[in-house]
Amino acid sequence: MSLSIAGMSWVTPLGSNVDGVWQRLLSGETAPIDILENEQNGARYLVHRVPANTPFPAHPRLRRASAVSRFAAAAGLAALAQAERAPSLDRVAVVFAISNGGVIYTRRFYSEIVTSGAQAASPLLFPETVFNAPASHLAAILGINGASYTVVGDGAVGILALKVAEDLLASDDLDLCLVVGAEEIDPLVCEAYRQWRFLRNQNKPTGRGMIVSEGAGAVLLERCDEGSGSSATTIEQIVPGRNFFRRSEAAAQLAAVVGRLENGIGFGVGSANATFIDGAERAAVGDALPLYSPKIALGESVGASVLWQLIVAAQALKTGTLPGTLNLPASSRAFVLACGLNQQTGGLTLQLSKAA
Amino acid sequence: MNSRKRNPRRVAVVAAGIVSPLGFGLTETLQSLRRARDSVTPVTAFPVDKTRCKTAAQIDDERLLNKARRSRRDRRLHRASHMVIAALAELLEAAPEFPPEIAIVGTTSGGMSFGEKFYRTLGNGNGCSAALIANYPPQKQIVDAMEKFGINVPAEVIANACASGTNAIGHAFNAIRAGRYLRILAGGYDALSELVFVGFDSLQAATPEKCRPFDSNRSGMVLGEGAALFALEELESARSRGAEILGEIIGYGISTDNHHLTQPNPDGSGPRRAMEQALAQAGLAPNQVGYINAHGTATILNDSAEGKAIMELFGDVPVSSTKSMMGHSLGAAGAIEAVVTVLALQHQFLPPNINFRESDLPLNVVANEARDAQFDCAVSNSFGFGGTNATIVFRKFAR
Repeated sequence: MSLSIAGMSWVTPLGSNVDGVWQRLLSGETAPIDILENEQNGARYLVHRVPANTPFPAHPRLRRASAVSRFAAAAGLAALAQAERAPSLDRVAVVFAISNGGVIYTRRFYSEIVTSGAQAASPLLFPETVFNAPASHLAAILGINGASYTVVGDGAVGILALKVAEDLLASDDLDLCLVVGAEEIDPLVCEAYRQWRFLRNQNKPTGRGMIVSEGAGAVLLERCDEGSGSSATTIEQIVPGRNFFRRSEAAAQLAAVVGRLENGIGFGVGSANATFIDGAERAAVGDALPLYSPKIALGESVGASVLWQLIVAAQALKTGTLPGTLNLPASSRAFVLACGLNQQTGGLTLQLSKAA
Repeated sequence: MNSRKRNPRRVAVVAAGIVSPLGFGLTETLQSLRRARDSVTPVTAFPVDKTRCKTAAQIDDERLLNKARRSRRDRRLHRASHMVIAALAELLEAAPEFPPEIAIVGTTSGGMSFGEKFYRTLGNGNGCSAALIANYPPQKQIVDAMEKFGINVPAEVIANACASGTNAIGHAFNAIRAGRYLRILAGGYDALSELVFVGFDSLQAATPEKCRPFDSNRSGMVLGEGAALFALEELESARSRGAEILGEIIGYGISTDNHHLTQPNPDGSGPRRAMEQALAQAGLAPNQVGYINAHGTATILNDSAEGKAIMELFGDVPVSSTKSMMGHSLGAAGAIEAVVTVLALQHQFLPPNINFRESDLPLNVVANEARDAQFDCAVSNSFGFGGTNATIVFRKFAR
């Protein structure tokens, strides 16, 4: 089933305007690097943060919500606002992709248990630790009271969330599906990646290893037969991949995904993040095809990353340009390839419609 | 969900696997349900000296981890992985010829206790095992279990709080019904963890007393844990290969209640919408339902909202919350209770709602003892934080 992109938006460390961030990516900019310190063990991490002056929606539901919910609300509202006609909210579903969830509150809540005892743990924090809290806030802000799904996984979780959306839109009961991916930064997550040996050494900002980032991406999807004439891009195929049980198997599983994506691809938007994923993706795709990863400029945002990749691919198709690629072959079709750090893979193909 | 296909496919449950505090496997679970066994015991997994509540329904580690001790790889896996492995082993023993195209499962916290251990180790200034980090994420447990049995398919892991398991099964049902898949492995899992236990304790949603769903003196939930899986298959596909069919799923409803992050709208409108949707998809009138396996957490707010919705929609259809026997296993609850509902249909009995004395709601509660009954259709409800509500309708399979 083909899905038309009726709206898209993001909140990134390079800004929140789709065209504005796209221009900055084309000009070769990378997001500013901040240092995040871990009070627990004194470790310091390189991170890309969403700018402090980013505007977020004001809503009672967001008063105590974690950063991930604010990122999601900003991206989700902006994507939904692009719908050609005011949607009937009982015919809109929300699908949320997330990996680490509300980790800031989770760490604070557990820290209270460890340091002060269970009797001191705040009942205000606990509900925000639940994976579907951001989706719940978003649904409440938008007034959506139908289907809402939160899908959890690794850096490929966005592909699985898009697949859930595709399956939901197989029903006549729905017109639109808002797919949002979001993530927030916390020292606990950074430390986990550091001990897992995926993180870039803070003393070698240009070295190997990934830089963790935060933000959200959102796309509003509808069935192509709904007749959204001005939609520039359609998702032709979503392929959740098989799992790799060892890192050495990642390239083979990604190659299997690439093999299932349709022919005529002009370029790919991958998920290389300066870890083992870079080599696995290149081995899967081969050397001939231009392959760009926005994670090099925006960092590894895990739950948000596939949505960012999708927006980058849509922008590249629309403008006929790709950051870092001088001679992009003329093509109306691209793929997004996703490899997570913890076993999951997937991909999708994106097509520029003839009308556009 | 009305499928865009003119002829929606029928969806069969061709096998199931379960591990819960009520037992390992369908047979033990059935015996425990019939005997109205209370499986709640003092918590042993972590200290509870500073919490109000001291009990939970727990799975016996001696049985759960016995086989795992033989393998270095298995020893590294989280308890939740071992629960899923146990459930999948039972399912595959019954249906060895079941190659799923995808797994759709629910959980709320995956390997949370590994995350807790990681945090504590960090605070001690010690290095930490990468295995803790790698085996913590919530998708890992289903992938571990599939790897154990040589299955490698994508895993959609739905984290819709306490409705996760029901949402996973419901979404899988709709996907098969719409002709998008033939065979799906669907279910849910969750293991007890200190963070979640203290969380519900801090909210005073958990009780230091007995779990008494729908009782006028109910005072909250008792947590549980477990895993349950269904092998779901398009009915004609299952028939053509001569598969045993345990039951049919015929309806699913999902709604979001925007009233509050943790509290249902007292008017019961969220649960009611989910139940109405599920009945409409099933093509059933409420009086055609013979049993409701309620969400029934035994919190004041849930049971009054759910009870109101059930009363208004179903009248005196028999209702029970089997959480009274085995606690609330969160992301696993919907899947476990789905298995319970299929067992009830297969064996024509009503599972009991134990610790029940009297209700402030005029519901037909299956009080304290299992009852024999004849019925063709049953409903299973799950509701959760975030205002998520989900209902599945099952039908006894008539050959």
